[in-house]
Amino acid sequence: MNPPAAGLKGVLITGVDTPLGESLARSLLADASVGQVLAIGARPPEEALPFSHANRLTYIQIDLLKERRIKELLFGPARDLGVEVVIHTALSASATEEGKRVHALNVDATRSLLKLCERHPTIHRFVLRSSSDVYQVQADLPVLIAEDHPLNLSPGAPQFVRDRVEADLHACVHMGLSRLQIVVLRCAEILSPGTGSQMFDYLQSPICFRPMGFDPMINVISLKDAVRALEAATRAPEQGVYNVPGADTLPLSETIRRWGRLAIGLPGAWLTPLYRWRQRFRGHDFRYGMNRRRFHYSGVLDGRRAREVLGFTPQNAVDWPG
Amino acid sequence: MSLLSIVSRAASAGLKEPHRGRLKRMVYHDAGHGYDPFGLHPDAVALGIRITAPLYERYFRVQTHGIENIPAKGPAVIVANHSGTVPTDAMMLWADIVRNSDPPRIPRPVADHFVPMMPVIGTLFARGGMVGGSLGNARVLLENGDMILVFPEGVPGISKHFRDRYHLTDWRVGHVELAIRHGAPVIPVGIVGAEEQMPQIGKLNVKLFGAPFLPITLTPLPLPVRYHILYGPPIPIPELYRPDQADDPGVVREAAARTRAAVEALLQKGLADRKGVFV
Repeated sequence: MNPPAAGLKGVLITGVDTPLGESLARSLLADASVGQVLAIGARPPEEALPFSHANRLTYIQIDLLKERRIKELLFGPARDLGVEVVIHTALSASATEEGKRVHALNVDATRSLLKLCERHPTIHRFVLRSSSDVYQVQADLPVLIAEDHPLNLSPGAPQFVRDRVEADLHACVHMGLSRLQIVVLRCAEILSPGTGSQMFDYLQSPICFRPMGFDPMINVISLKDAVRALEAATRAPEQGVYNVPGADTLPLSETIRRWGRLAIGLPGAWLTPLYRWRQRFRGHDFRYGMNRRRFHYSGVLDGRRAREVLGFTPQNAVDWPG
Repeated sequence: MSLLSIVSRAASAGLKEPHRGRLKRMVYHDAGHGYDPFGLHPDAVALGIRITAPLYERYFRVQTHGIENIPAKGPAVIVANHSGTVPTDAMMLWADIVRNSDPPRIPRPVADHFVPMMPVIGTLFARGGMVGGSLGNARVLLENGDMILVFPEGVPGISKHFRDRYHLTDWRVGHVELAIRHGAPVIPVGIVGAEEQMPQIGKLNVKLFGAPFLPITLTPLPLPVRYHILYGPPIPIPELYRPDQADDPGVVREAAARTRAAVEALLQKGLADRKGVFV
């Protein structure tokens, strides 16, 4: 059931200088029931958004690593504009960037936002854009991943995954303990640049190597559907964790073919060093070791909860270039 | 496109009647690109029909009894004895249902965890309908109204010693728990013949390509025994138990004993009726 389209006085979006944040801002501005859009990004205003809106869009460049700046934002412009919902999409998109600063953006900024939103006079909802990367994929786990599926808490997981799990869990822990309504959206991979999609980076080579003898089922989402899900979350009738699958569920080999690439199967043991070499010498972001299991075993998000509660069903297939 | 997709497409194009018509009538949940979320694809089912045809028709000369007990629609749990060192019993049962059920249905074998870990085999079987043995997979299939195929003996069944043929090993209870919870009837099946196809006299604890052991057998390949597949009347689980009783270990054990007895009875009938191992 679709939630009623109640008006929102103001929405704050972080990460608006990414394709997802930008598309979300455009979409919210196109929605007459949304009053003000407060767009937050790390870039200077002249580089951040290729569009403007005289009355309803405010862009502010803020370093989310500094809690003081976040506080000034929330209790300054956000309060003045009557922001009711915060949509947090700002996450480090690179799997190769690691360290304290990355952790501060991925986790500490989420923690600060949540903490400050809890005592904010106008904000009543916090939406976190999480991702399917938080889930464990392995042979003895269900193919269809529900929200209670085991998370990837492996100590050997790279920071890219650990940070996402930590931010996600942090938001989940606050549910029910806070006056805020918290919605966590675990989105399938968005096949788009700048969204943190490992699959997108993997598909940038003309030849894509995959483990010989394995062809797992995967699910990917279009930017358009990811935006629709985030919009639905702003008006979710209840807080909670929701998987957001895309309209495309297909084998890895078919994904490669539809992207117009050539798939070549190689022994799995060769792929980690091969892609490490690609990462080192070609500057790519894809890490095979991080994706090894999902390149062997199927893992598809089960979107039943999002369908039943948020009224979200994926409708827009990926625009396959191949 | 993978080699498997190309071969499957060719197999589907070359599939003859009545199987071509039957395949078109089979219902499955297309998740958007012709595959269901678990990886099933009708072209691969066609490939499965063609790969198993020589074994089904000429090598094992399968005789089917009581296929009308397969429900026309809705969730169901098919349970059978498991044996034979290599899983040709599962392949023949899958083929028998695909070829003969009316209306045609695709059974979804629930395999042990190591099967999806096997290169090529894991993918091929998944395209034909197999799913890994997690409760989550079985639950989704039953909720979607699919028919799952379970061998409650598991690996100990297929690796049983020749002297233990036609004696059911440990009978796991997960299948009845699922059936009770999801209101699915259980269809007992006795497979006669497979237990003698490849006499196993020992096994080595060597793990190769994910397989849990290396069998020591009297023959390098399965013998051309004749298979008899006997389907019993559905056990009306939804009439016998309430869904909440799926959490009652005593009830689940009792229901499992019922399915085990039904399979044993079919095996005894099949053994009594057959004229010989090879005829």
